[in-house]
Amino acid sequence: MTPALETRALTKHYDDGTVALQDFDLTVPDGAFFGLLGPNGAGKTTLISAVCNLIRITSGEVSVFGQPADSLPARGWVGLAEQDINLDRFLTVEETLVYHGGYFGMSKDEAEARATEMIDAFDLRAKTATRTPKLSGGMRRRLLLARALMHRPRLVILDEPTAGVDFELRHELWRYIRQLHREGTTILLTTHYLEEAEELCEEIALIKGGHLIARDSADGLREQYEASSLADVYVKAMGV
Amino acid sequence: MTGMYWLCKREVLRVYKVWTQTVFAPVVSSLLFIVVFGLSLGGRIRMVEGFHYREFIVPGLVAMAMMQAAYSNNSASIFQARSDRYINDVLSAPMRPWQMNLGVNMGGWARSLAIGVLLLAAAIPITGAPVHHPFFMVAALLLGMVLFGALGVIVGIYAETFDHHTFVNNIVILPLAFLGGVFYSINRLGSPWHELSHVNPVFYLVNAMRYGFLGVSDANHWLCLGVTAGLAIPLYLWAQWLFSSGRRLKA
Repeated sequence: MTPALETRALTKHYDDGTVALQDFDLTVPDGAFFGLLGPNGAGKTTLISAVCNLIRITSGEVSVFGQPADSLPARGWVGLAEQDINLDRFLTVEETLVYHGGYFGMSKDEAEARATEMIDAFDLRAKTATRTPKLSGGMRRRLLLARALMHRPRLVILDEPTAGVDFELRHELWRYIRQLHREGTTILLTTHYLEEAEELCEEIALIKGGHLIARDSADGLREQYEASSLADVYVKAMGV
Repeated sequence: MTGMYWLCKREVLRVYKVWTQTVFAPVVSSLLFIVVFGLSLGGRIRMVEGFHYREFIVPGLVAMAMMQAAYSNNSASIFQARSDRYINDVLSAPMRPWQMNLGVNMGGWARSLAIGVLLLAAAIPITGAPVHHPFFMVAALLLGMVLFGALGVIVGIYAETFDHHTFVNNIVILPLAFLGGVFYSINRLGSPWHELSHVNPVFYLVNAMRYGFLGVSDANHWLCLGVTAGLAIPLYLWAQWLFSSGRRLKA
């Protein structure tokens, strides 16, 4: 079966000399709920950016469902909710979704119908005509996730989707992400919340200094590191 | 092509949403120039190149307003998109680089055209300025829009702060426009200012426009159009290269 995501010897050196990823190999199976854990600067966001064509990779290969990540079909299969809120300040909630759908090739009618679906699913109905800078932090986070799912991607990448959100919203987002996964969508999640990774992910990869240092289920990692919790695994693996 | 259509639409929507700032204000500013310089002070100035002063300044003012709009719009739009990082929504979309470049440029062209149409609709009846060569005028306008729209995209991509965007507008474009013969014929200048005016690229655009309106120009009108095209095409290709290579747009 073609993996949802595959990187081969992926390397990224930034202009300032920082080596974010070095010969990084990773395979994420189709339909997986896959977590990436690592400290700041480990290379998680660089990996995500490479998959989504947001950086120029130094060398290596990235493929999405067997297609080069920079090909047009592959781009259409990926949905990204970035760590930072990056919503278009000139657009309303509804426009944000409809225009995103349009960028990803949806027709006007299709995009409008899907936007209505997303607005209801993420409880954004009361703010449909509100411009994004006027939304609360929680609303922005929901809209960011709704935008990532707008074009029905096969691979959804969530870069710390619950960073800075309250308990209720975090659990609400978890519920929605789980539902998405049950429907067959492959999820790649990065998070700093270890309990979030343990709660949601079937498999977890630990990244440090641009290298993959371990990957397994939460139970497998605990066994491998002879640790009682994922937090202990993290401490041992990262040498904290 | 759907993605490019929506990107064009987004850029035009941005212009429309803040129309008082993007369209109304530049039209009013240019009309004030026409009223103050053309109608009030123009009566004290003898004919220029066979035309009343109020007629003489219209082509340059229309060109200046349209070019500034094309530049400012694209520069500000792409700088904001980079700064707030919502440009990632476009860069990750299944669009080809030429579609992204064209889509982003479209906003500046739409704003520029809106200003041009409104200015012409107001200035021609007020001043009585003729349009002798409408097709030539349209060609000059389109090339000018491409030139300054592409310059806006390039500056918006390279700019590290909003000051860089305003610096180019205030310290480069505006002085070149004023010194490019918007308000005077360079035939009245002595040496070396007369010769130096010929190295100003805006001089050629202003005079291509003037030929389209009045049928007169301080330089051969085909040369004026050629120089404008000769600058517009490489600048557009430069903007295209930035999207194709991802330089400055992607780390």
